[in-house]
This record gives sequence, C-alpha cells and structure tokens, in this order.
Amino acid sequence: MHVYIYDDYLSKSKYSRAVNRMEIRLTDLGLNGKILRLGGIKNIKTAIENEIRLGAKTIVAVGNNQTVNKIVGAIISADVYDEFQKKTLLGIIPIGEDNSVASSFGIKDEETACNILLARRIEKIDLGIAGNQYFLNQAFINSIGTTIEVNGCKMETEERGEIRIVNLLSDRKEKGNFKSSPYDGMLDIIIKTRKKDVTFLNARSLSISNDKEKLLIDDVLEIKTPVDIHILKGAVSVIVGKERIFS
Amino acid sequence: MFSKENRLEKFKDAETVIGSSIKVKGNFQGKGNIVIEGMLEGSVKTEANLFIGEDAKVVANIEATDSSIHGEVHGNVRSRGYLAIGKAARIFGDIQYSEISIEKGAIINGQLVAISESEKKAKGRKEEAPEETEEQE
Repeated sequence: MHVYIYDDYLSKSKYSRAVNRMEIRLTDLGLNGKILRLGGIKNIKTAIENEIRLGAKTIVAVGNNQTVNKIVGAIISADVYDEFQKKTLLGIIPIGEDNSVASSFGIKDEETACNILLARRIEKIDLGIAGNQYFLNQAFINSIGTTIEVNGCKMETEERGEIRIVNLLSDRKEKGNFKSSPYDGMLDIIIKTRKKDVTFLNARSLSISNDKEKLLIDDVLEIKTPVDIHILKGAVSVIVGKERIFS
Repeated sequence: MFSKENRLEKFKDAETVIGSSIKVKGNFQGKGNIVIEGMLEGSVKTEANLFIGEDAKVVANIEATDSSIHGEVHGNVRSRGYLAIGKAARIFGDIQYSEISIEKGAIINGQLVAISESEKKAKGRKEEAPEETEEQE
C-alpha cells in the first residue's frame, strides 16, 4: 500500500494543476493509496509509525526538499524504524521549487515520478546526520571562520568560499570531478574557495564550528554550530530513476 | 617496472586533495593517494602515494609509498618506493628512499639514506645484541 504525504504548500492554487496531473497519472498506473497532509498531522512521526504498522509498503513524500527532510527525519527517529528498513520504501514526487534531492535520484517532475514509482527501482542510501537533523544531499556552510575537525586534524581557510559535506551529489556536472557515492558509508568534504582551488577528502564523521555562520541542510534548514556530523550507512531504501546522478 | 611518468600519473586519482588555501593541523593518516597544495603541520602517513605541490608548505614527518615533492618540507621523509624531488623542492629533514630522482635546483638539507641500507644496519644491530648478552652470562 502506498501512503502519500502532501506538504502544506501544495494547497496553493499555483500547484493545483501539477497535483491534479499527478493524481490522474497515479490512478492510471494503479498506484492509488492513502493521502495524508502535513498540515493536518499533529505528530508526523506518530502518523508514519501508524502507517508502517498498518503495512505501508511505500511512503511517498509529495513536495520539495523540505518535505523529504521532514519525512526522513520522522522515519529515522520512529520506533518502527527497523520495520521500515526491512519492509518499507521511500518515494518522492517533486512539485514546485527546491527539488535537488529528487533531481539527484533522477526524478525530474511529477509525471516522471509516477512512472518511477511503478518501475520500483530501489537503492539503499546512506544518510547524513548533523546534530539531530538528517540530510540526503549535503550540508553547506561558508568557509570564512569555519573550522573542521576531521580524521584527527583541524582544517581552516582564510579565503572566501564554500564548504560542503556531501552524501549525494546534487549537481550532475560535478559527477566526473569527485568520486562521491551515497552508499559508500562516507561523507565527502568539498571545499571551494574564491581562488578556485579545490579541497576534497572523505570521512565517516567530522565536527564543524563557526561563530557567525549557520550550517544549511539540504538547502532548506539552517542549524547552529558547533555540530557533529556523521553518516548512517544504508539508512533508507529509496525508489530511484534511471537517470540518477550516482550509479 | 613503471616508468617515472606512469608512476606520477597515479597521483591524479587522489582520495585526498588539500587545496592551496587550506591550513591543516594534526596527524593525517590515509590509505589512498594524497595531494597537498596548501599548508600542513603535524604528520602525514599514507599506504599509497603522496604529491606535494610547489606552493605547499609541510611542517611534518611524511611517509608514503611513492612520493613526488615540489614544495617546502620541514620534517623527515620516508618513501618506501620511488621518491621524485622537483626543482622547486626545499626539504629540511632526513630522507629515506628505495629509488630517488632529484631535479637540478632542488634544495635538500639532511641525510639521504637508501631504505634497503638502513634496514640492513638495523638488522645488524639486532643480531649483535643477543651475542653480547650471551657473553655477559
């Protein structure tokens, strides 16, 4: 049984066409299921736990990166997480902006997403954990004033630039430049500065601190530092498309 | 046997790259190829190969299989395989190597010891020590 969890913003009129197209396509493919709306759920974790206990085979996040982030966070912290890992899959139907996570999985739009759900191509993906927040793609912070403690070393730079802790690449163009994989049990640390030099290394865990800047999780959530970041190997089984960034 | 060019090609597949703007402090240990273009203070050890760029400054003892040094190193160098020292390299420390090439212009301020020789010396000392204890008894 599929359980579709709709984000609140989908109730706006500008998304109604996309939602209708999606629902028609799901009906055509015989993929109808239960619909839950985030706005109507007091406790998303409890709602997901109930659905998994009732035998949900697929939990589908309908929305954007923020939707996926909320649902994954609820799943990982649920009492039934072990059951979820064995029996339940995560699906994504992207609607609107900020959908880099879906894009990484080769899911371009709502109609493609429905076809991908039917094809049921599954990958077990690692999950990044920053403090008590989870990320599928990356955590980002500005480089000035940031200290990284990793592999027994401290790293800093005085140059302006960006620091990304990557689990799953979101930019297809970077695929050839970095050996990044979402199921190698490692986080990739990529530092690019204004001087155009690149630093790359990987680690299972690290700490980040910056007095002024916050850490941005999957482009949607900001958290304060200092924060410990580590990887949870094979945390989530996701339904992915053929054109995913990783192989 | 690998040619010099083939050996250095291996560095392109580096697991770790420290860019020129980065400062690292600590004991860095890895299994894959390491490229250092920035500053590192502490120690560097890898089971694979190490490349130190022209703009790099390393204040550390370093240990690798094949190494290619083109920048500044303050510390001892141990290269179990091949060691290439470029013309812009400035090394202040002792060097242990199996095979070595040094370009004209490189500055080295320390002892150069072929690893096979030093290992022989160490073995020799160990063999002498038991004979001495037998005599004392």
